[in-house]
Amino acid sequence: MPPLDGMATGTGELLAVTGLNVSYGESKVLFDVNLHIGANEIVACVGRNGAGKSTLLKSIAGFLKLNSGTVTCNRVNLVGRMSYDIAKMGIKYVPQDKKVFSDLTVQENLELGSYATKDYNWDRVTDYFPKLKALMERKAGFLSGGERQMLMIARALLGHPKLLLIDEPTEGLAPSIVSHLREVFRELNKAAALVIVEQNLPLVCAIANRVYALKEGRIVAELADAASIRADVCEKYL
Amino acid sequence: MSAQLLTSGVIFGLSIGSIFFLMAIGLSLCFGLMRIISLDQLLYYSVGAYLTYSLTLVTGNVWLGVLGGVVVAGIVSFAVERLIFRRIYERELTFSMITSFGVLIGGIGVIKFFWGVVPRPVPVPLMAQIDIIGTEVPVYRLIVVAIAFLVYAGIWLFLNRTITGKAIRAGIENVEHVEGLGINVSRLFTITFIIAGALSGLAGGLHAPLIMVDPSMGLEVLAFVFMVVIIGGLGSIKGTLISAFIVGQVVSLGSLIYAPLAQMAPFAIMLLILLVKPTGLYGSPLLKR
Repeated sequence: MPPLDGMATGTGELLAVTGLNVSYGESKVLFDVNLHIGANEIVACVGRNGAGKSTLLKSIAGFLKLNSGTVTCNRVNLVGRMSYDIAKMGIKYVPQDKKVFSDLTVQENLELGSYATKDYNWDRVTDYFPKLKALMERKAGFLSGGERQMLMIARALLGHPKLLLIDEPTEGLAPSIVSHLREVFRELNKAAALVIVEQNLPLVCAIANRVYALKEGRIVAELADAASIRADVCEKYL
Repeated sequence: MSAQLLTSGVIFGLSIGSIFFLMAIGLSLCFGLMRIISLDQLLYYSVGAYLTYSLTLVTGNVWLGVLGGVVVAGIVSFAVERLIFRRIYERELTFSMITSFGVLIGGIGVIKFFWGVVPRPVPVPLMAQIDIIGTEVPVYRLIVVAIAFLVYAGIWLFLNRTITGKAIRAGIENVEHVEGLGINVSRLFTITFIIAGALSGLAGGLHAPLIMVDPSMGLEVLAFVFMVVIIGGLGSIKGTLISAFIVGQVVSLGSLIYAPLAQMAPFAIMLLILLVKPTGLYGSPLLKR
């Protein structure tokens, strides 16, 4: 599958999700979700635990089977595609669990990011996270939580993705690392659109162009301007 | 026990341990990456042995027979993975266990159809013996041990020095994350399954000259191979090697001390090790799908 040429290069719609319904077995998690992501946007998803935020990202990334609905990227249908295929198209998912391949070194983790994309420019991705440069030979299992998050994002950046789906990136991290990630996200946004699931409202308010609030599997609000993207407003949905 | 008997017992234990290793490595890798219990590996062991028998009859060269057995076992395992396992990877572990047992039993039926039920002999390719501490030891058994070490080194290099091998190691930790990097995990599954099948075929081919080849030969070693995988730790290549040699020695030396020990002692060792280390010698508690 060739990359989606022209993705995130203009200002138009990059990703569109319509009528999305997803279940885990008998338990329905997402109900008729509609959203859209513009090229070069940073969109945040907020909501309580269990609201369906992670499920939404996993569904877009192809890890879950949809009951119904459509997901398109630059009008290319993503439904039914394998997750690895979607990743190769330039839509990368960074999971919440901060599980790097612990038995592999940092460099080997990056090598795997290069495996499918054939992008071996590790300097470019570690420029965002200079700390990783000194840790290339270290087994990833010995990294701190913040370093693991950096590695997961760096790994996902190989291949120049056009859309990054990042699940709770700052959970459990020190404030200094959160500040660093905030700057990195702003920098990344120059070349890619970002969808971030996040509970850290100051971060959301600092970087998001739009915010979707989810509650019990439904989108209950869309905050689309700076005046409404405020911590006190977002807090109502947590 | 005389020194001669002990030396010969140790060499026998090493060679039988080598066979166990070659068979168990496939089971271990399949569980580590795909989270399936692939009892059908015992079928590829039989396929390897029977191909060695037939090709030796035709060509007169046992080594060609072993090579043919490896190739055909790899092809059969590829077909089984494509036709059967691909459809059940998402199912429960017990499902794969029962399915693979079905494949094993069905395969034994096919073997009986083509080769009959009469046990078949395969000549030892090398009759030479060498003297080790005053004991005449068959060179062929030493070659079997050397091949097992070569395979271990090859697998180690593959898993640690090639990108496909690293992807398999990563997949053993977390398949979903590997897929999220754009890597076709399904292809990794197929590669792993073929390697496992071919190695089981190699075990059968190498073992054939040391035993009589018969349709249920896979079932006869089933318990030992399981023990090797469990003692070594599921998914660990190093653990499988060490465990195979432990079980091989226990079977061999146990039979020298008191014949029933050969069957019983490996179970006792397994229980003992699991009591101390429930994940096996080198098993990782990290293994999760």
